[in-house]
Order: sequence, then structure tokens, then C-alpha cells
Amino acid sequence: MTITARDRGLARCEACAKLSRLPLKNTQETRHCPRCNSALSYRRPLSLQFSWAYTLAATVLLIPANFLPILTVVSFGQGDPDTIMSGVVKLWESELQLVAAVVFIASIAVPVAKLVIIVILMLVVQVRLPLSKQQCTILYRFIHFIGRWSMLDLFMISILVTLVHMGNIANVESGPAATAFAAVVVLTLFAANSFDPRLLWDLDHD
Amino acid sequence: MPVAAQRFVLPYNSVMTTASPIPKDLTACPDCDLLLHTDDATHDRQGHCPRCDALLWDVSNHARDIDFAAAISGLLLFVPAVTLPILHFSMAGQHGSNSLIDGVWRLWQESEQLLAVLILLCSVVAPLVHMLLAATIGLCQRLQRYPNLYPRWLKWHNWMRSWSMLEVYAMGIIVAYVKMMHDGDVAVAPGTYCLSALLLCIILCNQYFSEEQAWQCWEQRTNA
Ligand SMILES: [Zn+2]
Ligand SMILES: [Zn+2]
Repeated sequence: MTITARDRGLARCEACAKLSRLPLKNTQETRHCPRCNSALSYRRPLSLQFSWAYTLAATVLLIPANFLPILTVVSFGQGDPDTIMSGVVKLWESELQLVAAVVFIASIAVPVAKLVIIVILMLVVQVRLPLSKQQCTILYRFIHFIGRWSMLDLFMISILVTLVHMGNIANVESGPAATAFAAVVVLTLFAANSFDPRLLWDLDHD
Repeated sequence: MPVAAQRFVLPYNSVMTTASPIPKDLTACPDCDLLLHTDDATHDRQGHCPRCDALLWDVSNHARDIDFAAAISGLLLFVPAVTLPILHFSMAGQHGSNSLIDGVWRLWQESEQLLAVLILLCSVVAPLVHMLLAATIGLCQRLQRYPNLYPRWLKWHNWMRSWSMLEVYAMGIIVAYVKMMHDGDVAVAPGTYCLSALLLCIILCNQYFSEEQAWQCWEQRTNA
């Protein structure tokens, strides 16, 4: 028999982790944490609504991020704009397989995997997909762990654009996909942060 | 005779021993909301949730001053790490170099303002404010003076910590280095060493900083 904090009328503060009493019935006034004065609630308010909104926005932006050019290397007056994928292919062809793999994982695999996993987690909560809670929690921790690594490509753009800035001889310019990709990364981080993993475990209790 | 001496030493030790990284009496798992007693847990180094295996606390109090020392060292290293060149690149007689702050400035000039702001936040502002607040919070605990802004600092500290992504930036440097090796001469510049040292400080500071302990210090403050 497992007892949750909510069963005992205790809410865990999101900011400082302190447990405090909170009336189970929804009262109009907001209670505040006695330790840090943050607003208290049993579960993150509107967790699924926010997660869905961020996830959908990120999915839409994934299209310009992948099909518009992200980086243009101009050397002695010539050079083609590269999308994320064509950049990976070029790296692979120039015998830099390891780097190509790193960029592919950080820029394509991680954002897509994150979105897929968040959608799965939300579906588990909403339509009760039959997945074990342990596995879902592992997936949840996984997307939190890998999320920040998608910034790799953006940092690389910032490094290359500054490093290779030599007028006519060689120049690296960023493309419109860079901003779209940055938005995807930020939105997936928000989506993962708004999802409340306790909703998964609550399914056992209802 | 020893009474006076004891009273002189006591405050520092007493607060340091009563504020612990383990929550008092009861806690709830952040991931599954399981209610747990923490009374008999003082001997375990780490606390895990029995239901979902979430890490609930990590007692590393043998190295109590490491987070403070790391924050101070990180602040000292910050200016060189951000302004010194990280990589040198030369090709057909032309030379280029980059630093953290140049990278942001260059993107801003190329009218990628949104991207520039995001990179400024993740690679410069968040690491700086994170270290600053970690040092300030450490100082408050050592002086036992807790200003009214202390809870806000602690919340900002957590927020900045989650947006500080210098370890990803370091990976970006490695990838950029390998990528440019084919096109010209790339060399590691002094900024890389400062940045590596700063990164080490940030990791140590993250490892040894206990949020729960910092909050308990605030709860037990005497000069409220
Ligand atoms: Zn609180
Ligand atoms: Zn748990």
C-alpha cells in the first residue's frame, strides 16, 4: 500500500520541496509555501495543456528548422547553403563520421525523440496507453537529461560564424533555420518542464 | 573557562550541523509523490525513492566547502574564460579567432538577435549569475546573515543553473575544431584552458551544492 503526499493533504512546494498542508477542496485563494512563499498546488497547474501547446508549436517549427538552410560556408566566393541534414551528410562524406554522428544525434535525433516521448507520456496519462509507470518515468528522466544537448548545433554556429570571418577568402553565415531550430530547442525544454510526472503515478490511485 | 570559547565557536557549527541535505521528518518524491519518512535515513549517503528510484538527496557533507570554493574560483576565471580567444583559425594567410562574447556579438551583427540572446543567456549570463548566487548564498550561510532577498536568490540560482550550458558549449568547441581541421590550421587558444577550468568549477559547484540545506538555513535563520 503506497501513500502519496496528496493522500495526506500535503503539497510539495515546486520551488523548495517543503511539504505543507493544503485543503483538498479547491478553494479560491492561493496558498503560499511557508518556507519560500511560492504558490502551492498538488500538481503543476495546467500541466498537460501547457505541454501540448509547447509540443505542437515545436513540432510545427521543426519543419522550417530542417528544410531551410542553417549554415552557409562561402570559400573563395562559392558555397552552398546547408540544411541540418545536408551538413551531417557532408561531414560524413569528408571522413568525419564521428562528428557527423554527434551532430546528427544532437540536432535531429534528440529533438525528434524528445517530442515523440513527450507525446507518448501525455497519451499514457490521457488515454491510458498500457505502458509501465517505471518505463515512463525512465523516459521522462531521459528527455530531461538529453534536452540541453540540442543546443550543440547553435553553439557551433556561433563558434564557426565568428572563427571563419575572413571577407572574400572564407566566410560562414547562419541561415534562417538557426532561429527556428533555437525555438524548437527552447520549446521542447519548456514542454518537458511543464509535464508533471506525478500524473503518471496518479493513474494507479484513481 | 571553556564555556566562553564554546559559545564563540558554537553558532557556526550548530547551524551547519542542524541544516542538512536531508529533508526533515517527511518528504515527498518529486517524480511520483510517494510520502516518505526521513528520520532513519541519516546514515545513508544517498536517498532514493523506493517506488520510482528518483534521487531524493545526496549527502556529501565531508566536502562542505567545495561548492563555495568552486563558486569563488569560477568567478575569478569567468572574465578570461569569456573574453580570451578559444580557437585560432588560419587559412590562406588570413587569421580568425573566437571567444564566447565575440560569438554572441557576431550573431547580433548578423541580425540573428533571438539566437544571440539565447546563446548569451546559456553561455555567459546563466553561468555568471549561477556562480555569483552560489557564492553569495555560501557567504550568507557562513556569516549567518540572511537578507530578505535570500529565498529569491535561491530560486534564481536554480533557474540559472538549469540554463547554464557551458558543458554543451565545450562539446561544440570540440566539434568545431574537428570540423575545421580539413579547411585550414586550427589551434587551441588560452580561452579554452580557462573555459575548461571554469567548467570544472561549475560541475563541482553543482555536485556539492545542497538546495535543501540552503533552504533549511533560511528556515532556521535567527535574524529574521
Ligand atoms: Zn517552498
Ligand atoms: Zn518516486
